[in-house]
Amino acid sequence: MFASTTSVVMVGAEPCPVRVEAHVGSAKEVFKLTGLPDTAVREAKDRVRAAVVSSRFSFPSRWITVNLAPADVKKGGADFDLPIALGVLGAAGTIPSRPVVALGQLALDGQVRAGRGTLGAAIVAARMGVPCLVAEESAAEAASVSGAAVFPVRTLADAVDVISGAEPRPISRPPLADATDTPDLAEVRGHPLARRALEVAAAGGHHLFLHGPPGSGKTMLARRLPGVLPPLTPDQALAVACIWSAGNRSRGVDPTPPFRAPHHTASLAALVGGGSGTIVPGEISLATHGVLFLDELGEFPSRTLDALRQPLEEGEVALARRGISVTYPAAVQLVAASNPCPCGYAGDRHSACKCRPSSVDTYRRRISGPLLDRFDLRVAVRRLHADEVQGPPGEATAAVAERVAAARRHQSARGRLNRDLGRPELDRLAIQQAGEAMLGRAIDASGLTARGFDRVRRVARTLADLDDTGVVEECHVAEALALRGSW
Amino acid sequence: MVSDTLRVRRGEEAYPALLETISDPPPAVWIRGRLPAGPGVAIVGTRRATRYGLGLARSMGAAVARAGWPVVSGLARGVDGAAHRGCLDAAGSGVAVLGSGIDVWYPPEHQGLGQDLVRQGGAVVSEYPPGTSPEPWRFPARNRIISALSAVVVVTEAAVKGGALITARLAAEQGREVFAVPGDVSRSTSVGTNLLIRDGALPILGPEDLLEALSLVMGPPPVRAIEPQPLEIDVPPAGASVEMVVEANGGDTARILAILGRLESEGRVRIEGGEVVRIT
Repeated sequence: MFASTTSVVMVGAEPCPVRVEAHVGSAKEVFKLTGLPDTAVREAKDRVRAAVVSSRFSFPSRWITVNLAPADVKKGGADFDLPIALGVLGAAGTIPSRPVVALGQLALDGQVRAGRGTLGAAIVAARMGVPCLVAEESAAEAASVSGAAVFPVRTLADAVDVISGAEPRPISRPPLADATDTPDLAEVRGHPLARRALEVAAAGGHHLFLHGPPGSGKTMLARRLPGVLPPLTPDQALAVACIWSAGNRSRGVDPTPPFRAPHHTASLAALVGGGSGTIVPGEISLATHGVLFLDELGEFPSRTLDALRQPLEEGEVALARRGISVTYPAAVQLVAASNPCPCGYAGDRHSACKCRPSSVDTYRRRISGPLLDRFDLRVAVRRLHADEVQGPPGEATAAVAERVAAARRHQSARGRLNRDLGRPELDRLAIQQAGEAMLGRAIDASGLTARGFDRVRRVARTLADLDDTGVVEECHVAEALALRGSW
Repeated sequence: MVSDTLRVRRGEEAYPALLETISDPPPAVWIRGRLPAGPGVAIVGTRRATRYGLGLARSMGAAVARAGWPVVSGLARGVDGAAHRGCLDAAGSGVAVLGSGIDVWYPPEHQGLGQDLVRQGGAVVSEYPPGTSPEPWRFPARNRIISALSAVVVVTEAAVKGGALITARLAAEQGREVFAVPGDVSRSTSVGTNLLIRDGALPILGPEDLLEALSLVMGPPPVRAIEPQPLEIDVPPAGASVEMVVEANGGDTARILAILGRLESEGRVRIEGGEVVRIT
């Protein structure tokens, strides 16, 4: 007798359906599990037998073969317990056989525990148009996938009830979660330049580099960027949630752009992804469609920073380990911060820098030119005076986000973010005559380099988008020049 | 021997007359470029300057150069470099007096600055033979040449101990005027200049004030000082952070940034590390 159910294994952030085939044969007590299972999956045999018996079903004393297909995808974890149990019971004729997607670990008393690929199971179930059986505690997460008929099951017996057609109703899809509270820009007093840069960075998706003395507010500003960015679309939110669940982290389908701030001692694997065994996504993938904040950029090992360059360019990161290769999205907006020098006071109006000039050079050279070139906006953040700290609150996030959203609409109409404009597109950019002339003068007067020229044009395009004008005007070029900054 | 370098011994016709006015003229000097005949204006100060000192040194260097007087300094880090840079900003001619051989650039990152001075019609001068390495004890001796080539020594920022105060003392002994920029009494880099003012140096309140004081000492400037062109926004003479400029001009960030960007493209201000410096 034969029966099959479907389960899911996550390959990177992509759910891969796994057919769990069960066959119950001649009267000889054997339980075989095939199809590239790892040790945890192999141990399912004992858990399944105990759970079935505890749930007062009879466990077939026959030759049982369970095969997990496709055979070439490695399966790990204990999430196959529930589909294996349902398959075996179906093959033995104890329960009817019905196509479902099931995912969950079984306790020895028959309780179902949440598995890792819950979101993936819901996605696969929605695609196949079959019921999705998951543990009660992860049902809400699964139900956030549109089109999935999610049945929460507390025990194996509950799951059997669903399959036998006892007609419990699937839980309804909860509305998209409210945006997580992000800190508001109104709390930032003063800092007109940095606020403007933050708005422009959000509007064009530009990578932003903030430099200034310790305690000047670089981190405070960076944390407020996700709130200014447009909320994630349901698809983006789901993709982010899948990446997070692949990294064993839970994040609902939340429209708030993620914000990740890894410490500079984080390993290369923690940043770009990797690890032995399963390949987990790194911070650059966890921050997809959101913000990756690297504080103390110069303190990150140069090997790590170099490894970030390609993913930043391509918007995804390909990882390969022992014959398995996985691609994770890595479409992040990068915000980096640095002190101006080791002591932190170079360029401060009120305190002299105590560093030797050569150590300042060494400190700055740690951030390589090619990496620095990624930052269209480089802004000095200054320490506030006492009276500014007590000044009036700044403009609130909501007002800024509205302008950003309007500017983004122009870019989605054109098909890409201004951050991604390459030289050929920039050369075709419509710039007012006076603006072109100003760019020419800037090349002579302030030694604007070719790369600097591109950065200024990208930012000028964003400023024009914020101003709702199709042609880049002189004032946009001028402001972009002022925002170009130096380091 | 460096090809474009001239060695002049005392007694030779080309020996700078100004050096004969001091008590211990160097027996010979090496000159690269063209040394101006008349006295210049020395702008000196600490190597560990704050933005305050750097901004002022640069805008005063530009103001002096635009008026037509040579800017003399020591090519050192900090105030010296900023003064030379201001002179270059205003397309003036300046003189750098080295404490090493004329072919030994110290600090190395100021090599380009020294070469630009020569290219722009100024000079690099040293009393040490080519190849002489920079040693700390050579710099005080070098300072007497800075003041010798100048009618006025302006100290923008100085701690109590340091070459700038030595230059000021030597200048006074050589009969040169000493001007100093006052600063915050609690800031170590202004203690030296405040002391100079207490002891009789003329306090200087900004580039325009400097030009006025200079015309009293040196007579009318060789080039009629162009009236500083008013910028359409307020930028303090000592320079200011971009944010201070934005706030001082009404707070419309986008508009002020656009004005600053245009002024920079016209070479009238410079924006570096978040600071705005006036060039005109």
